[in-house]
Amino acid sequence: MIELFDVTKRFGHETAVDSISLRVEKGELCALVGTSGCGKSTTLRMINRLIEHDGGEVHLDGQPVRSFDEVALRRRIGYVIQSTGLFPHWTVARNIGLVPRLLKWPKARIRQRVEELMQLLGLPVTEFADKYPRQLSGGQAQRVGVARALAADPDILLMDEPFGALDPITRKTLQHEMGEIQARLHKTIVFVTHDMDEALALADRLVVMHQGRIVQQGKPIELLHDPVNPFVESLLGGMDRGLKEAALIQVSERMLPLGPRLLASERIAYGATLSQALSVMLWHGVDRLTVVDEEDIPIGELSLRRLLGANAA
Amino acid sequence: MPVVWLSLLLLLTVGIEQMEWLFRLLEPDKRQVIYARASFFALLMQHVLVVGIASLLAVIIGVGAAIAVTRPAGRDFLPLVSQLASIGQTFPPVAVLALAVPVLGFGTLPIIVALLLYGLLPIVRNTLAGIGGIEPEMREAARAMGITPGQILRQVELPLAAPVILAGIRTSVTINIATAALGATVGASNLGDPIISGIVNGNTAYIVQGALLIGLLALTVDSAFERLVRQRQLTPAHG
Repeated sequence: MIELFDVTKRFGHETAVDSISLRVEKGELCALVGTSGCGKSTTLRMINRLIEHDGGEVHLDGQPVRSFDEVALRRRIGYVIQSTGLFPHWTVARNIGLVPRLLKWPKARIRQRVEELMQLLGLPVTEFADKYPRQLSGGQAQRVGVARALAADPDILLMDEPFGALDPITRKTLQHEMGEIQARLHKTIVFVTHDMDEALALADRLVVMHQGRIVQQGKPIELLHDPVNPFVESLLGGMDRGLKEAALIQVSERMLPLGPRLLASERIAYGATLSQALSVMLWHGVDRLTVVDEEDIPIGELSLRRLLGANAA
Repeated sequence: MPVVWLSLLLLLTVGIEQMEWLFRLLEPDKRQVIYARASFFALLMQHVLVVGIASLLAVIIGVGAAIAVTRPAGRDFLPLVSQLASIGQTFPPVAVLALAVPVLGFGTLPIIVALLLYGLLPIVRNTLAGIGGIEPEMREAARAMGITPGQILRQVELPLAAPVILAGIRTSVTINIATAALGATVGASNLGDPIISGIVNGNTAYIVQGALLIGLLALTVDSAFERLVRQRQLTPAHG
């Protein structure tokens, strides 16, 4: 659990973070979003004391972060950055094993842990363990970055625009995998991003920052429905909010069992989102889709009316 | 390649007497055409020793100073140190020798001091450039992983800066091999002796002998450094 109480940070006369309070529960993924320079990265880096806060208190599991030795503190917090920060003179395996090595784990245990993480992140050990960072693609390098952050099995993970430098397809894949990893590991994660789709897809709690202050926080769906001001509304997509919300809901939540009618000719996977379903309807000019499972077997149907759901008149 | 230059150097050092006929062509009228006041091997060893000591001190002081002023505590001294190193280079070694002799006397000591001062700049400059050239994110990532400042220096900064630092040491040592010949003017006997003696006595053959061996020594050391740098690039995990 991470708690910030009235935390303030000034750089010279500039107030970067202005008395913000925030609570991230254990196992929760909290996304900090906002325009550039809104203080979201500064907030993140005050948690592992890369930046020292000027006012207020930052607590980890109820204890002020200043009560910990800063080196020991950082070793129990995973950290992922946009530029990966991999050490170019070390192999992938050595990079991943860094924190366990600092913590003086036995060699065999480090090797086992590194292989475990490479498997988790989809990096075949025989192919990648001895490669150097410059031999990796952007996506592979960032997988190594995530594996390194997870190496010593920290409870807390800080991620600063981890997928910001990747191409859209790789980014989507990694976002999806991150979601799956989080569903398995239940880390407490603070995630800085300016990609709103990423934040909406991954976050349990969304925190919107503007000029060093928290403007609004809550569940993604709450913010989509009740933005407190035009800034939050436009940040969340303005008129596209309907589609953004539809992208959070799965087809399986709205589909009906197969009825007596003929199957609709166009199909959609039950794990797809409502926005994808809507796109298929628009493309084919139909108002009814057949919902299929992984084996392409029809299991239900989705009408435009059902898709519109609660919002339908 | 270093092996080739080294064998050539050693061969010439011991075999130069056998090449009297060749130097006779240069100075047909001289009674003596092979420098004989000391053995070339002894002169070579002296030369290597002087350059070795001066370079070792320059590396320790230069790298040490550059590391010190790139730490948070020493950062205020960074401009001072890089200026001092520049001044050391602009000061002609001859002038250093002239100034050092009254204080340190004749012999090997003044030339070591002169070479040390002259050799500092490339080492300091390259160490500063090497450490300064590391991306800030790299250092920040290291800090965020919980690596201590000492470990960051040893495991991240120095290995990453090593190629640039090595290039500085290479320049420094190579220049000093040539400059060390000046030592002969203040009574430090080394491969500069035949050259100075040749100038004084108007004997071109002596000059060529000294110059040839100094040149070969410089090539040997330079190619050895090149090999070292190349090996580091092939196996970047070391160090």
